[in-house]
Amino acid sequence: MDEATAITVILVVIFFPIIMTPILMSVSDRSEKLRDILAVVTSAITFLLVLTLYPFVVRGGIVQHTFFEILPNLEISIRLDVLSFSLTAIASFIWLLSTIYSIDYMAKEHGGSRYYPVLMFTLGSCLGIFLAGDFFTLFVFFELMSLISYILVVHEETEEALKAGYKYLVMTIIGGLALFFGIIITFELGGTVSFGVGSIIEEGTLIAFLAFMCFLIGFGMKAGMFPLHVWLPDAHPVAPSPASALLSGVMLKTGAYGLFRVIFNAFSIEVMQTNNWDIVLGVLAVITILLGSAVALTQNDLKRRLAYSSVGMMGYVLLGLSVLNENAIIGAVFHIFCHAIMKSCLFLAAGAIIWKTGKRTISELGSIGREMPFTMACFSIAALAMIGIPPLSGFLSKWTLGLGALDANATFYVIVLLISSLLNALYYLPIIVPAFFEMVGDEEQGHALKLSVQDVPPKMLAPMIILAIFTVIFGLSPINVPFDLSQMTSDFLLKGGWF
Amino acid sequence: MELTNHFPALILAILLGISFLSPILYRWARKASAPALIASLFLALVMAVYLLVQVLQVGEFTYYMGGWPPPWGIEFKVNLLRVYMLLIVLAVSLWIMVYALKDLEHELKTEVMGWYYTLYALVVGSMAGMALTNDLFNLFVLMEICAISACAIISIKEDRACLEASFKYLILSAMGTGCFLLGVAMIYMVTGQMNYDLVNAALPEAVELYPNNMFAAAALFIVAFGTKAALFPLHVWLPDAHASAPSPSSAMLSGLVIKIYAFALFIMFYQLFPRSLLESIPLNEIVLWLSSMGIMFGSIFAMVQVDLKKMLAYSSIGQIGYVFLGIGLDDIIAMTGGFYHLLVHAIMKSMLFMCAGIIIYTTGIRQIKQLGGIGQVLPITMIAFTIGSASMIGIPGTGGLISKWYLALGALEIGRPIFVVIILASSLLNAVYYMPIIVNAFMQQEQFQHQVKPVPRKMLIPLIVGMAAIIFFGVFSRPAIVLLDEALALFF
Repeated sequence: MDEATAITVILVVIFFPIIMTPILMSVSDRSEKLRDILAVVTSAITFLLVLTLYPFVVRGGIVQHTFFEILPNLEISIRLDVLSFSLTAIASFIWLLSTIYSIDYMAKEHGGSRYYPVLMFTLGSCLGIFLAGDFFTLFVFFELMSLISYILVVHEETEEALKAGYKYLVMTIIGGLALFFGIIITFELGGTVSFGVGSIIEEGTLIAFLAFMCFLIGFGMKAGMFPLHVWLPDAHPVAPSPASALLSGVMLKTGAYGLFRVIFNAFSIEVMQTNNWDIVLGVLAVITILLGSAVALTQNDLKRRLAYSSVGMMGYVLLGLSVLNENAIIGAVFHIFCHAIMKSCLFLAAGAIIWKTGKRTISELGSIGREMPFTMACFSIAALAMIGIPPLSGFLSKWTLGLGALDANATFYVIVLLISSLLNALYYLPIIVPAFFEMVGDEEQGHALKLSVQDVPPKMLAPMIILAIFTVIFGLSPINVPFDLSQMTSDFLLKGGWF
Repeated sequence: MELTNHFPALILAILLGISFLSPILYRWARKASAPALIASLFLALVMAVYLLVQVLQVGEFTYYMGGWPPPWGIEFKVNLLRVYMLLIVLAVSLWIMVYALKDLEHELKTEVMGWYYTLYALVVGSMAGMALTNDLFNLFVLMEICAISACAIISIKEDRACLEASFKYLILSAMGTGCFLLGVAMIYMVTGQMNYDLVNAALPEAVELYPNNMFAAAALFIVAFGTKAALFPLHVWLPDAHASAPSPSSAMLSGLVIKIYAFALFIMFYQLFPRSLLESIPLNEIVLWLSSMGIMFGSIFAMVQVDLKKMLAYSSIGQIGYVFLGIGLDDIIAMTGGFYHLLVHAIMKSMLFMCAGIIIYTTGIRQIKQLGGIGQVLPITMIAFTIGSASMIGIPGTGGLISKWYLALGALEIGRPIFVVIILASSLLNAVYYMPIIVNAFMQQEQFQHQVKPVPRKMLIPLIVGMAAIIFFGVFSRPAIVLLDEALALFF
């Protein structure tokens, strides 16, 4: 594949789902079935097209292409390198599975004619973020995705959802404005905001620090970084479960991706380290990790607990970004992969439980594993991976992050990782263990292990099982594509990340 | 003598001519009166486009009214910036008029319709004149025409609120023109000239001889144009006037009339007064801080409003602040942003007032609280409202972002990031009062309670044009920005 073809593919990947939005809208009046199929086909085609870029990227191919200048020196451009490919691939993959899962899940819910078009539009704009070639294009898609996904957040239209949605909206706009400020300062200092020129700002002046903080607010808000995470535990649980999976599994990553671009393209590792900006990030990361996990412990609502867990998990990525050596970056990128897979698996499983039984609180979930063994098996695998049990994928990412921290002589970070793993265990195990081992029935009847399997339909089960299998495969198996991609990304970024 | 040479005067003549003809036409050939007004606005617009082409080819040129050169005759100056302003005035007023055709039937008594057309043409004509004139006294006359007809256009509904508002406007506006006249008199006393260029040539010497008088003149001009353009804290007349007027009038007053005075102040600062005067006293600084306060307070006042049109009116106070911010920052990039905002805000605020007009037309609702669920019954109107609000907030893809980008860039250029913070904070405030309306309109569970009349197509088409324009100027902003850069380069 040459560069011209790659550009075409990238454009199709971004705009095909967006173009399908009105089509889905018009179809949904006529046939719901056709609409569902079209939605799945759209996300499947998008995913397959993304995969065709794989050989090109692995060969070290880079695309940086400008379409037109929106203002002098401010352009709309696209970029494909190994970092953006990794994110694009995992995003479109999770999206495909969530869309398949949605078919049965949303059949019970209202407003499907709004849900699917919005879902596809969000997919297009999300991939646009990952494939943007400069900060301005990224900003455009970032705002587009954030604002459109508001409709997913408030889909249920309950009082609670609207309240959470409003919080989300306000935070999104604050974040967007901070980003805007950051981009303007970058443009003013460097004369460009393109990713194709290496580090735009080379000196850590006060105004550059202001830009860094603005970026940190803008992207950190999206990534659920402390203290800007307040919207996340409200907004993620109220959305329909497949949308929660995407919000937590994919859309959080756009914030992390943005920080990668800020650190490596707007600034550089040297600027970060000589000015001690990495310490700012490190402190925030540690607080995010510990706070997210600790608060998750106190939650009794299943989806809320998962949402707080997301806050903690994104802290790992931030931690990798603050350490900034080879292993740490591998760990950060790989953790993006792992967390996307694990967390969407967990949210889909939680959705399945809610869909089938209507139970949302954790105390009600005793012995659910005997009613829904497959769902709970997937949940358990993903939860164990979250804790970091070998040989599951979460272990590998924590291990690599830990190695990175040790390379940088930051033993403290390793301790933080261990404490947070312990906390993870403390809040996941009390869900899993009673689910399988709690006795039902009273003393006289004996503790019969009643097994009455009433699991969800295969279209909902399949995505979960696939995700659970991937959690296992991407652990310690010899063929580990995401890990290879993470290594390539790390090499690429440490060499400058722009050529 | 070619006809095309007289286009600057002809634009004015056509608009003033139709204003006299309108009542007659309305009496004798009622059906022809509205098309005649639209046709003459269109004709004026075509001429303005021709002027633009001419300016792009030959550069700046002047036109002597009646062939009399200054200092005796009135001079019209045609350069890029003035044509830019002229085009905005004519295009937006034509667009609003198309919308007004249907709306006015609903809001006005039939016997005053002909007079409304007269007033409309007078306001547009005087604004076009203000954009072109190069003569202080001529500017004063046009300002008076504009102020009086604007007052009448508010009070034409003849209800209590309108009369009260227009009376308030009349008094403050008269105070503004009074200040202006006083300033002009002071300048005439020391220079003996009325023509901008001649005054400009004579002023450096005059400033040395009579510094206090000239400072006073400059200060009076700020008060005069500040009052007219609703620069904080001289904005008190605006909310009532703009909210109680018929919706097309509100659109025009908020979209255009306040802008033309900001433009006039710019011309005063950068063409009339010599740089030395502006550098010796911090006039820019005053404008800068007043506009910043306007930006913040306009938005804060807007948040507490319960009436939709009043909220939009307060929002205008904040938005005109951006234009003044461009002038105050005294930097070509910021100025580009200010003037771009002038264009974008003219479109978006007019469109928002049109949306409000349609809501009032179809349901009779003015209260923001009652708008829950209205998105289901008026989808296109509320989508237009959403796009207009998005542009107010500065969401990417809309014109509002581009002007904010340039203003912020200009503020950074001169090393004052505090104003970027003000711009961003006000964007956030805009979001705080626009977003709930949109969210409630589309996301309310219960059905919309009120009776809804069908929306006439003549009202929807202007809305669609407006949406397209906002997005067009958000995405393809480059030509306008390049044009503005070239236009403003003349003044720096």
